[in-house]
Amino acid sequence: MGPLIANGYIDPAWNNVIALLVGIAFGYILEASGFSSSRKLAGVFYGYDFVVLRVFMTAVMVAMIGLIYFSYMGWIDLGEIFILPTFMTSIIVGGIIMGLGFVLGGYCPGTSFTGVAIGKLDAVFFTGGLYLGIFIFSMIFPWVEKIYYGGEQGPVTVMETFGISRGLFAFLFVIATLMAFFVASIVKKKVKNIEL
Amino acid sequence: MNKTYFFPIVLIVILGIGALFLPESTYTEEVSPDQLFLEINDPSRFVTTEQVARAIIEGDPTILIVDTRSSDQYKAFYLPGSVNIPLEELVDSTGKINEKWENYLGIEGMYTAFYSNGDVCADQVWVLCTRLGIKNLFVMKGGLNYWVETILRPKPPAQTAPSEEFALYDFRKGASMYFGGGGAIEVETQIAEPITPIRKKKKRVISGGC
Repeated sequence: MGPLIANGYIDPAWNNVIALLVGIAFGYILEASGFSSSRKLAGVFYGYDFVVLRVFMTAVMVAMIGLIYFSYMGWIDLGEIFILPTFMTSIIVGGIIMGLGFVLGGYCPGTSFTGVAIGKLDAVFFTGGLYLGIFIFSMIFPWVEKIYYGGEQGPVTVMETFGISRGLFAFLFVIATLMAFFVASIVKKKVKNIEL
Repeated sequence: MNKTYFFPIVLIVILGIGALFLPESTYTEEVSPDQLFLEINDPSRFVTTEQVARAIIEGDPTILIVDTRSSDQYKAFYLPGSVNIPLEELVDSTGKINEKWENYLGIEGMYTAFYSNGDVCADQVWVLCTRLGIKNLFVMKGGLNYWVETILRPKPPAQTAPSEEFALYDFRKGASMYFGGGGAIEVETQIAEPITPIRKKKKRVISGGC
């Protein structure tokens, strides 16, 4: 049956409307999880707050298990799902830059807009920097094009690379995530609490 | 551990263990058995030999005629313009339509008529293709045996038969001449080129990211 738009159950003209609704829901959940506070977000780097880890890993876990069961019930065709192609070089370089920006500014691109929405000044400043960065990137793109398209591997998945089944990977992921939550809670206890 | 998290954790672990034992991608676009049953019983899935003859004579581009017999039989005799898709080679080992034929079957706006010597082979192909979700499929009722009987060697109706039967007989006589059947002057039939494969429109992939 699914994906609904690709299989013609929903007209592609609804794309933007659905995107708006999903975006509103996403923003609401980010704000409700406390992602509009840069101190809370940066906590994951200093070990006093692991809400980023918990929220995102839970989301990945639920979506992953959900998709597997949906596929089993025949509600979605996993072969038709868009998988982002992997560019190894740009993932590593971009990941370092993004991590630096995250630890310095206390926001990631999505959450900075949550911060702007509730009027946080640091988020406004961060978003200004984000647009400046986008502008500079597009100006120097010809020079970084090689890095940008470097290490192309196509839409690979962990399951294909290691030759394990989808279910096994999901199970291992769930176990690893729960272990990470457990370790995070120990770290949090050891680190002095910070008034947020 | 916080007690609020106990239930979600247990749930996700159970679901994770369940995912371990789920068979990989059982998803197919197969038509449900109920739907298939309804479609099998629908008499409109048959076309008559006259309808097929008319389509060939008129060169209707929306109709694809498929010979479901083996290639040896196909080489010995076939309807002009038909494509040979043997029943044995229709489906590959993965249960999908063989790559060789997927450009012929299921093209939007095309009607496909299967025939074999009788009804059986064509019917089997019809069921397989319908099960795989291909639309607009038909079976030539009676197959080539009936084709020979009605189109190539038509018999005149009884004198008392209604006028429709005479009209039908007239058409069959004309078709018989066209296809070079018994009694008619043998003419070299122009065999239509097989239809060039048209790539099916790819389903739209959703693009986007974080």
